[in-house]
Amino acid sequence: MKSRALATPLSFNENLASYLSYLNRALKANFAYKSSTFLGLFTGALSYGITVLVWRHVYAQGGLAHALSANEMFSYLALAFCLNYAMTINIDQRVGQRIRLGLIATDLLKPLDFQLTQAVQALSDSLFNGFVGLGVLAVVYTVLGSAILPKNLACLVLFLPSVFLAFVVQYSIVFLFIQGAFYTYSGYGLFASRIALHQTFSGLQAPLILYPPILLTLGRWLPFQHIIYSPISIYMGRVEGLQALNLLGEQFLWATVLYLVGHYTLRKALGQLEIQGG
Amino acid sequence: MEQALQVENLSKTYRRRKRQAGLMGAVKALFGGEEEELKAVQSLSFSIKRGERVGLIGENGAGKSTTLKMLTGILVPTAGRLEVLGRVPWKERRQLALNIGVVFGQRPQLLWDIPVQETFELLRTMYRIPKDVYEVVYGEAVSRLGLGPLLGTPVRQLSLGQRMRCDLAAALLHAPAVVFLDEPTIGLDLSVKEQVREFITDIQEKYGITLLLTTHDLKDITETCDRLLLLDKGKLLFDGSIKDFEKEYASDRRIVAELQKPVSPEDKTLLEKESARLGGTLKEAEGCRLVIEHKDESLAPPLIQMLLSRVKVVDLNLEKTDIETIVTRIYRRPEGGRE
Repeated sequence: MKSRALATPLSFNENLASYLSYLNRALKANFAYKSSTFLGLFTGALSYGITVLVWRHVYAQGGLAHALSANEMFSYLALAFCLNYAMTINIDQRVGQRIRLGLIATDLLKPLDFQLTQAVQALSDSLFNGFVGLGVLAVVYTVLGSAILPKNLACLVLFLPSVFLAFVVQYSIVFLFIQGAFYTYSGYGLFASRIALHQTFSGLQAPLILYPPILLTLGRWLPFQHIIYSPISIYMGRVEGLQALNLLGEQFLWATVLYLVGHYTLRKALGQLEIQGG
Repeated sequence: MEQALQVENLSKTYRRRKRQAGLMGAVKALFGGEEEELKAVQSLSFSIKRGERVGLIGENGAGKSTTLKMLTGILVPTAGRLEVLGRVPWKERRQLALNIGVVFGQRPQLLWDIPVQETFELLRTMYRIPKDVYEVVYGEAVSRLGLGPLLGTPVRQLSLGQRMRCDLAAALLHAPAVVFLDEPTIGLDLSVKEQVREFITDIQEKYGITLLLTTHDLKDITETCDRLLLLDKGKLLFDGSIKDFEKEYASDRRIVAELQKPVSPEDKTLLEKESARLGGTLKEAEGCRLVIEHKDESLAPPLIQMLLSRVKVVDLNLEKTDIETIVTRIYRRPEGGRE
């Protein structure tokens, strides 16, 4: 009988290989539920269609042209819909269910960082949904034409890191809400609260500048605007140059702070975990 | 031999909200309500050396799974000290995970939506499994647990038994230093259970794995373990070899005789007296069957001699209480402990 030597901690490259391997499997798992994805897309498109009809009516009454032209508004809504699709990550529902059923135990047995593993899972959701979102954008282009293209190349170049930071902000918010499920053992209420805040303050329904002052102020103090409103503002050239860089800086700050808060609160949340029964 | 696990005064208390039955109970619970404490594990102490094979048994709710979850770093203990391979599991969970393998019988670690092979490939990267180890364990798992036809099937389409076999292979794939198996044969049919036990034993021997196994099927213990820990209501009731366990608890021995003709009332009275004189108890004397119970091995010869001199015996059997019966009796006692 020979005992194997104990394994030493993974090196950076080995860790990276593990997370990439996990991403590969997570993407494959996303394809397992394609019918559900397309049903979600259909429902989302329906909801978007209704939003567009409402805004068309508002513009027909001569409503908001001073703040945003109708063309800008419809381009914004189309881009918001597609970006929101890419920012749709389902880890809170998934982890909530796993905590309730005690299956989270097997996630904690992996030699990987729980927060990073969930980030990889979220990235897989985001890549998969983003790919679908791009398809939708191509269809929208046939209707709205160049109005949905970036204002210029600089806007596109700044938009790409902004989308990445939007993902980190979105993921970090979701991860904080996930931790609530360690205390409540039911992820649904938390999920519904997050969705409500996201829909109100991310800029999905309309650009924040159209909000009444009190909601606009509140929205400016919350991180949700950086998921949709900020990247699209850069993409459409509503903020440019130094202003755009400032916005990227704000996004970066929120992404870092939220990720670190999630990191430090995780140990306490895991300490709360109770999994009874075999 | 080096210690693999050290547990000292380990305790875990769960808190749960008391709920009254019915709709009103549910409404009341919504606005607060009393909490109660459930002591799942109480002052548990034991240690396990590298390469030992230990079975952990106990009734449902005895604290077996909670103990395993603390040892693997999933749960934080309420009190006490524990180390696995020199690490504190809940503080150094990731580093420890590289050197342990775990099967939670009712909670598979396999990736649910994709084929089994994908989980194996992921584990291979995640644990940096050397080629020689991977080839041996994977090869043996596929051939001996019959995994070949299952490798391309999404996990959610597998039966419980198929999933268990795949999960066991996944836990052993990196030939870890310590393996925790929580009910590894649950849901398996008898022949597969046998295959699983043989596979566990062989891999354990080949790589000197330390094994801690919980089960309700005592054959898992007698066939794969050398040492037994018996938990009862969160407390350790016994810690020792299976032989010592039988010696300590299996006090009942039986002489079962088949007689040529039914025993008469006079013979029955006589046998009762004589058995008692020799330290035995006549437990049964119905028709041609006769049973005498005694506590000590050394009492058997005089009791048999007495029996043969009083009645005509056509068949005779000496029986010892099996481990399953002993454990069942311990579970049925109101407060556990020895008789």
